[in-house]
Amino acid sequence: MPEIVNPHPERAGIAELVPELTKAAGEDFLEAVSEDDMDEIALRPGGLLAVITRLREAGFNLLLDVGGTDHHPLTPRFEISYILTAIPLGDVRDPYRFFGLKRFRLRVFPNDSDPVVPTLSDLWPSANWAEREIFDLFGVRFEGHPDLRRILNPDDWKGYPLRKDYPLRGLERRFAAGGHVGPVPPLRES
Amino acid sequence: MTLDLRALESNPDLLLTPGDDRDTLILSMGPQHPSTHGVLRVMLKLDGETVITAEPEIGFLHTGIEKQAENLFWQQAITVVDRADYLAPLSNSLCYVLAAERLLDIDRQIPERARVLRVMFTELTRLASHLVWLGTHCLDLGAQSIFFYAFEMRERILSIMEFVTGARMHQSWFRIGGLAIDVPKGFLDTIDDFIGRFPDRLNDMRAIVEKNVIIVDRLVGIGKIGQQEAIDWGLTGPPLRATGIAYDVRRAHPYCDYDTYEFEVPTQTAGDCYARFVVRLDEMVQSWRIIKQARERFPGGPVVIDDRKIVPPPKTEIQHSMEALIHHFKLVSSGFNVPEGHIYQAVEGPRGEMGMYVTSAGGNKPWRVRWRPSSFYHTQALKRLAPGNLIADVVAIIGSMDPVFGDVDR
Repeated sequence: MPEIVNPHPERAGIAELVPELTKAAGEDFLEAVSEDDMDEIALRPGGLLAVITRLREAGFNLLLDVGGTDHHPLTPRFEISYILTAIPLGDVRDPYRFFGLKRFRLRVFPNDSDPVVPTLSDLWPSANWAEREIFDLFGVRFEGHPDLRRILNPDDWKGYPLRKDYPLRGLERRFAAGGHVGPVPPLRES
Repeated sequence: MTLDLRALESNPDLLLTPGDDRDTLILSMGPQHPSTHGVLRVMLKLDGETVITAEPEIGFLHTGIEKQAENLFWQQAITVVDRADYLAPLSNSLCYVLAAERLLDIDRQIPERARVLRVMFTELTRLASHLVWLGTHCLDLGAQSIFFYAFEMRERILSIMEFVTGARMHQSWFRIGGLAIDVPKGFLDTIDDFIGRFPDRLNDMRAIVEKNVIIVDRLVGIGKIGQQEAIDWGLTGPPLRATGIAYDVRRAHPYCDYDTYEFEVPTQTAGDCYARFVVRLDEMVQSWRIIKQARERFPGGPVVIDDRKIVPPPKTEIQHSMEALIHHFKLVSSGFNVPEGHIYQAVEGPRGEMGMYVTSAGGNKPWRVRWRPSSFYHTQALKRLAPGNLIADVVAIIGSMDPVFGDVDR
């Protein structure tokens, strides 16, 4: 068990990286924040590829997750968050070597009317489905994605369910007996 | 339902192309195939019995859990979070609860008894989940008897769960601030009985399968993946550790005092189905060790924090104190507010890194709960693992990735 000296060992070396990332993002840089869980950078989609390439060079090789958030009615409305971590390769069978593994988050804010973000699926094959899921649930398009189809919902589904203006219930009745299609009766409040 | 022609049409991988000869066959495996563990459809393009391309199709179990979680109070959302990865409900809720506690900044106040019980029960959950995997995976490979051994042991775990929490599957026992209720009288005897019984039974099971020539023949060298590719495909948990990378969230970012428990992180280097098989078997021994240590510690004291704004007061107090009654009423009718912020919390679930990216807008409901479903990424990796193998090996590969479709589709 190594002695904990730095309260945030996972942040070692990241602070030095941030100015470079800021430079790589150029005009698309929005802000760099040190959050409770990890450091993060917010940017517009234009700078994503440059920043992520720089991060990959710095050893962030595992794209843990790509998530979407709808901040409606705030603007910018959509947030795509990329969580990255740096996994050492080779003979790494000692679990303590991973203690305080570096993590980093990118938050990308595309524009509201036509949200488009460049795809990462040619860098990480794992991004393929994650991006399809965001397309399916939020309607954010990923430019250059090889196979941008719905993934969780049926292909003919209308609307984007995780958007905040998509109601929890009250849409058309889709699967009623006898092919009936009509509005769902409102919830009885009592 | 008509055949999903549209999906076929828009996906060139699944159409016969000019290079294919007359033996090329497109086969839809699932969604009701017994070895697909629920509801996975894999579109296979075959040359004879060899897979050329595989395209998994998911979404059959999509129930909008993330959307539902946004429409429930912070404390209520635990009930739907539990139902995502339905074989490991307590791992899910632990992840969510830890994230919410960090947003509330009460994560350092959780009583020790609650932390020890959380560790004990997530490890029991891991055992239960791995036992289901062991039984069904071997069943897929044609071994019948191991299934009964595994499910008998799992039944004991579920009985403990039922005895303590009142529910066999979706316990919702971890709450923001601690636990829902303390363990009942007689719990220690039950857990001691289990701790005493488990090693022998696990050794029996290992003796049946681990060196079994049929199992070894079916698994060794199948679905091989190297370290770099495993990282590229987003694999975590046992599939990553089977390539020799000892990445375990319990060691990398310890939570619930995992850094004070003694356990090893089993690894293999081959990266094939058999390596994943052995890693999971070894993990079960380590989980048992952790449960044993948690049992030895087992401190007294409360199981929830003493904060009336988050945890309702005890029933006896409500009957005497007006203020306690008001607190109770407020918590039940409108929950509590969580300060604005966003946080990524990860725990080591049975399948891999189970992460949650939780955003709070300051209200009494989570603004967004984003899963990092490890099964989702593991299912996607079938695209890489299946080609080149026989159809029967696809069954072995699906089993060795151990996807749970509640987790994939949410």
